[in-house]
Amino acid sequence: MQGRTQLAELPNSTPSPPTNSGNFAARTEKPSPLRLTESKGRLATPLAPKVRHLPILSVARRLEQQQTLTAVDAFSRSHETDPVPDQAQYYRRLLPQALPNPGQQYAFEVDLDRCTGCKACVTACHSLNGLDESEMWRSVGLIQSKTASPARVQTVTSSCHHCVEPACLKGCPVGAYEKDPVTGIVKHLDDQCFGCQYCTLMCPYDAPKFNAELGIVRKCDMCSERLAVGEAPACVQACPNEAIRIQVVDKKTATELALAGNFIPGAPSPKATTPTTTYRSRISLPPDLDAVDGDLVRTEHTHLPLVFMLTLTQLSVGTLLISALFGRSSSTSQPAALLPVAVAFGFTGAALVASVFHLGRPLLAWRAVLNLKTSWLSREALSFGVFAKLLLFYLVSLIPPEIVTFAYQSRFSSLQVPLGVLAGTTGVIGVFCSVMVYVATGRGHWRASCTSIKFFGSLIVLGTSTVAMLEILSPSAGVVHERTMALTLSLLLAFGIWKLLWEARRLRTGTSTDFAADRLMARIMLLRMLALVKTRFALGILGILLLPSVQLFANIPAAASQLCAVAGFIAALGGELMERVMFFRAAPGSRMPGGV
Amino acid sequence: MATKLAFLQIAEKVQDLLVSRTGPLTRDLLQTPGKFGLGRVPTRLVPDSTTTMVCGYCATGCGLMVHLKDGQAINLSPATEYPVNLGMACPKGWEALSALHTAARATSPMLRKNGTLMPVAWEEALHEMTRRFTDIQERHGKASVAWLGTGQMPSEELAFLGALGKFGMGIVHGDGNTRQCMATAASAYKEAFGFDAPPYTYADFEQSDVIVLVGSNLCIAHPILWERICRNPHHPAIVVIDPRATETAMAATHHYSVRAKTDLWLLYAVANELIRQGAIDEPFIAESTEGFEAFRDAMAPYTLEVAAEKTGIPVERILALSNLIRNGKRVSFWWTMGVNQSYQGVRTAQALIALALMTGNIGKPGTGANSITGQCNAMGSRLFSNTSGLFAGRDFGKTQDRERVAEILDIDIANIPTENSLAYDQIIDGIESGTIRALWVVATNPAHSWIDQNRLTRLLPKLECLVVQDMYVDTDTALLADILLPAAGWGEKEGTFINSERRIGLLKKVCRAPGQALADFHIFQLVAESFGCGEMFERWSDPEAVFRILQDLSRGTPCDFSGINGYSQIDRKGGIQWPCPDTGGERETDPVAERRLFEDGRFFTPSRRARFIAEAPMEMPEPPNDEYPLILLTGRGSSSQWHTQTRTKRSKVLQALSPSEIYVEISQLDAEGLGLKSGAEVEVISRRSAVSARAYVTPTAKPGEVFIPMHYAKMNQLTHPTFDAISRQPSYKACAVRIKVRST
Repeated sequence: MQGRTQLAELPNSTPSPPTNSGNFAARTEKPSPLRLTESKGRLATPLAPKVRHLPILSVARRLEQQQTLTAVDAFSRSHETDPVPDQAQYYRRLLPQALPNPGQQYAFEVDLDRCTGCKACVTACHSLNGLDESEMWRSVGLIQSKTASPARVQTVTSSCHHCVEPACLKGCPVGAYEKDPVTGIVKHLDDQCFGCQYCTLMCPYDAPKFNAELGIVRKCDMCSERLAVGEAPACVQACPNEAIRIQVVDKKTATELALAGNFIPGAPSPKATTPTTTYRSRISLPPDLDAVDGDLVRTEHTHLPLVFMLTLTQLSVGTLLISALFGRSSSTSQPAALLPVAVAFGFTGAALVASVFHLGRPLLAWRAVLNLKTSWLSREALSFGVFAKLLLFYLVSLIPPEIVTFAYQSRFSSLQVPLGVLAGTTGVIGVFCSVMVYVATGRGHWRASCTSIKFFGSLIVLGTSTVAMLEILSPSAGVVHERTMALTLSLLLAFGIWKLLWEARRLRTGTSTDFAADRLMARIMLLRMLALVKTRFALGILGILLLPSVQLFANIPAAASQLCAVAGFIAALGGELMERVMFFRAAPGSRMPGGV
Repeated sequence: MATKLAFLQIAEKVQDLLVSRTGPLTRDLLQTPGKFGLGRVPTRLVPDSTTTMVCGYCATGCGLMVHLKDGQAINLSPATEYPVNLGMACPKGWEALSALHTAARATSPMLRKNGTLMPVAWEEALHEMTRRFTDIQERHGKASVAWLGTGQMPSEELAFLGALGKFGMGIVHGDGNTRQCMATAASAYKEAFGFDAPPYTYADFEQSDVIVLVGSNLCIAHPILWERICRNPHHPAIVVIDPRATETAMAATHHYSVRAKTDLWLLYAVANELIRQGAIDEPFIAESTEGFEAFRDAMAPYTLEVAAEKTGIPVERILALSNLIRNGKRVSFWWTMGVNQSYQGVRTAQALIALALMTGNIGKPGTGANSITGQCNAMGSRLFSNTSGLFAGRDFGKTQDRERVAEILDIDIANIPTENSLAYDQIIDGIESGTIRALWVVATNPAHSWIDQNRLTRLLPKLECLVVQDMYVDTDTALLADILLPAAGWGEKEGTFINSERRIGLLKKVCRAPGQALADFHIFQLVAESFGCGEMFERWSDPEAVFRILQDLSRGTPCDFSGINGYSQIDRKGGIQWPCPDTGGERETDPVAERRLFEDGRFFTPSRRARFIAEAPMEMPEPPNDEYPLILLTGRGSSSQWHTQTRTKRSKVLQALSPSEIYVEISQLDAEGLGLKSGAEVEVISRRSAVSARAYVTPTAKPGEVFIPMHYAKMNQLTHPTFDAISRQPSYKACAVRIKVRST
């Protein structure tokens, strides 16, 4: 009580009046108007119970102090130049003494016994290379034995393996990869890249990383700028246990080792690209080691623009071919032949536009054809580019004078057949290139048989349903052409059902299926996208059955049959698009062992 | 000529378009010599100066060289010359700055109005806090307000909070999250050595020929200390005693995979065997210790056979362990949370201390009974938080201690409470019983980290006022706050940390705090003013002034560092270990970089002798049974996650380096029994809660034991609230659970 009495006597307006200068220090010299007083308790109650007169707080001064940075004035390092980096004392012995000789190259060497999975290498690579916030060029994964005795869990650090036969370089359509002739380092030319991300599919080890913000891929270059001046790559500098070093390897030896399948358990086979990283361990690795994420069910990127590009180019080529094979001979009824070609051209255009959306830097789309020598993607781009133009010329050649007249019309008309044949051939080559784009990645689930069935299957299914729909929508002289319909619909029925059955068989997850990749893909589809799978099959069945059913009921009104035809076409197209979504999304990734 | 030139230019342009070797994207990654001994750095991030400061994550206390531009941090790399980490850092250290830059930072004080936290001015928040706290104290007594502090703030701030809370605001009970990590080690040392004094220096890792790690997963929890072991040139035997085949166990030379919570049996059997064989240092025991005879007698029942039965380790392997210790010339014993977070942790730690004492493995290079600390400033908290003990290892209960502190701080002794604070769990119990009505939570996240979390989150709303002082608005605890005070973080303020080996390291201000956020130091200054006790802290004007006060407080105690010549000497020396007493001369003290304690065989007990302490091992409080057949172990999951992840989750890189969702490690045998595969969705059920998780089948888990990392909030819904009777540290490590498969 004594304390309170005293408090009541304290003036409650003691905060010194603000000085003219408004100077914080002056104002807060006596910050507290209320003082501690001694009382019976351990501490006097500083505040009166009812009316509390609150002290003026020196918030502004504290905020100002907070914003003043002091480290430089007080402590920063003054000397600026050092000929040799401080860290060199640790990493000097982790670097090769001389440049590689001909037939040799630089390579990472990882001492597994020293790697305990601290992952400093990943963060150092990130910080010392100035990567974007979520960009990482190095990763640390885990391989483990299936049996508990002896239990072996091994962390595995990896980045680009600077392969002897780099698949990224081979696949890149714009030539944005180079293998340094002296060091063997696989370098990426960032300004050359147009962001198609094909290298991310080509590389079995997931080394190139797409940076969506920049619209390009970037990757490890073994810190070649550092190596050039005798400094160690970031990861080598940063490993607390000196587990990563740079060595010189013979390319021939590397190739022999790779062909013998020698790499590290849990990683994709080295046979295709000859990765040069050496993983060493004094303790032999148990044979049953595998990546902990080896059969993890997870989805990959959908690549939606590619889904449309592939499906629509296949639709276009299919429409052109089916209408040419089963349609009325063009010489007798040009207007009827015109429509499917026009539609094919329209969808080709849409496909090409879609493909550009896939690029991180769409304005450089023209560069796609720069690497015809080794890139199936370049070849695909060229084929469809030419196909589109031929299709246009063919379309022009089909325009009869009674509709519209223009210069050189008769010359175009006379080239109708060769133009049609050329367009069709180029289209088929294009689809073949599409198939090869994925086959070239060497991934089991994209092997030639599967990818061909899917791509050429879509060509037939969508070709037939487009032609049939067009025939119903726009019958020549009011009569549906019987032969066209019969042939088209039979093919649609027979092949469409076969393709669906084939796809359904791929959904088996049992051990009887030959390919582990198929099994995993099936698990991903069933566990992660069951709704999509169901819809795909429902649409597929609708797409196959709706169109023929129109023919079964001869007397239904034209409008109803036309509606059915369009619905059937949309269902078929939707079904194939979904099949293609799963082609990408449910594809098991190819990468170095990952984490839990 | 002109046309030729033009043609060449065009050709060049075309060539450029065809193959662009340069351009903005290429330049984005170019490097430039960074100077300051850095080597090449990204050209975008070339510093104009650098400075070294201690990392703000764990108690390893690494030196990080911060790259500065215009005084502001733009990047960092490990400091090459710092005696702790020798140019290396773990991912958290590398990514330390990223914790500061996030939209989740608290940038303004917040006050809960109509159920929602609304931004308010500092004045309003502080007045409100003052009004509510004093009102509650008036109605329910001074002790009805309590605080929960941290091991994450510099000593200067911890001391400020301790002095302000107890001497200024009249709070009696405060504790910190160090209760969850280091209380056991502190208690064990106090009883055995007479002072909370981890005796070692990191160089001991490099000088041992036998290294015994108990409940310590260095590779993941303290990667830089594992680095120090890797630098050991003596090819040491590395023994890991841990139920799990951790990364460290895998990398060790010997792994003793004891059954969970049976380590004490193993250690006692080894002690008994060493005594039986006479493999003990009798002169040292006679000269420097007390209580050995009673200890020897107490060990007698723990034969190899008894221990083998309990631990599941065969007799010959236990014998082999005792032989290793017997034959080792420099044996060091190290422990971390596997020991500390245990219902009988103090005794387990003291068993390790006893092994070191009886074999004379203390006070010499490469030896010691060494606790490896968790948080960056847990050691500072142990000395200066002013909670369970008075400043610098003193006792609130002792008049002479109170007098000394009152004299040093120039305050009335009546302001110093006469009792030590209640422990964390007792404060929580106080909320339930109604004796604690208001809580001030500073830089910690109990709503995630406290054992039997559901009980705590049920109790917190009972508080009349919960003030949370934190860097972030979205921690589990901040979301429950009535008043949120925005704090500046590591890198935005100054102060000192004390690391595991007693090294005082310096923190620097290299980033601007966002918005209205203030260093905890400034917040305490404002709270003091607001509470009307600002005058008491006039001397506490800035962190270095407080450091001088702490030096005064340490003077004459075992942790005396009164000889340090200010922050600048700490900076120059790469940190300075305590003790570093003022020698009284004109010249600055020049402590050597790495020092250990007890080299003279004298300890800090009244008799100057170390004590042998033992107690019969107890059974697990919640053993598995038919209904809950599995033991749930908890611990650190990866090197890129820190505690409740309030900071590490801000870094996209650290996030990518660890599983984002809660998972449970399970043995292959148990997985087969349950019919599940890796990746299956399961429910982990304890008597307290059921938590969904993804199963990860691993050969590192023993049948009958499962493991969930502590970083996932829900984990602590499962844990069983038992505590070490002496240290009051929660026994997080083991409880009984069962697993229900939801989808294979």
